[in-house]
Amino acid sequence: MMPRTGPRRDLVKKQGIVWLAGAGMWIAIGAAVILPPDRAGWVRVTAACCYGLAALSFTAVYAARRRRSRRTGSGLSVRGRDDDDGPDGGAVHRSRALAVVSRLMPRSAGRRWLAEAESLLVELTAARRGAAVRSYLLSAPRLAVMLWGRKVLRRARPGPRRPG
Amino acid sequence: MAPRLTVQVQLVLQALLQDPATEMYGLELSEETGLQPGTAYPILLRLEHEGWVASRWEDIDPRAEKRPARRYYRLTAGGAVQASAALAGARRPKGTALRRLAEGGGTA
Repeated sequence: MMPRTGPRRDLVKKQGIVWLAGAGMWIAIGAAVILPPDRAGWVRVTAACCYGLAALSFTAVYAARRRRSRRTGSGLSVRGRDDDDGPDGGAVHRSRALAVVSRLMPRSAGRRWLAEAESLLVELTAARRGAAVRSYLLSAPRLAVMLWGRKVLRRARPGPRRPG
Repeated sequence: MAPRLTVQVQLVLQALLQDPATEMYGLELSEETGLQPGTAYPILLRLEHEGWVASRWEDIDPRAEKRPARRYYRLTAGGAVQASAALAGARRPKGTALRRLAEGGGTA
């Protein structure tokens, strides 16, 4: 079953993370200030460092989540783009199955395959689109094997030999 | 090394050889050959790898055109010569094979 997601759920999650990060920071300050002065200096410093690190890690996790959510439009957009991947924008027929299968291929080749498939599917009528998607999905495993084989061979090809 | 001349490869080459200077994109090729686009793509990729075919992304503004750019393919000069020679020496696709392809869309 797919987990339920929505703007409300995301908002609650974000608020929770912010609250935890804030709490961590206050605890760190508290540890540094409120710990009884009779405690040794190194205890106070250690406690402050521990709580401070906890607060920092919460903040870092929160920042990373925000960055990721800003970057994520669809599955494909998480990955970087090359010149060969196809131009961005325009009406595109997004097929989740195609996007998933494209990840079986080497990165650049998979993106090109997906971009080309999407550019073609958008021009097809709905009746023909299903058959076209099926044909892409059916040919994908063999194509992935071919592309990976080619990539491995390219890497295995010996480079220029050193003298001596 | 020349690509293996299966019936599907011959169909793609024939379509491209109709006018070697003209570029064709996936859907055009698919309609011309009767192959499903998913079948034509690996063939084009193989031909491109062999240097018989060159490809490029269409230079348009997808937002203005309201569609994504197409990938255009055309035979290279050397590819056109080699493809003509290979097709001349190859067995012609039989009627039954072509009928089967037209019915099923073909498989790579």
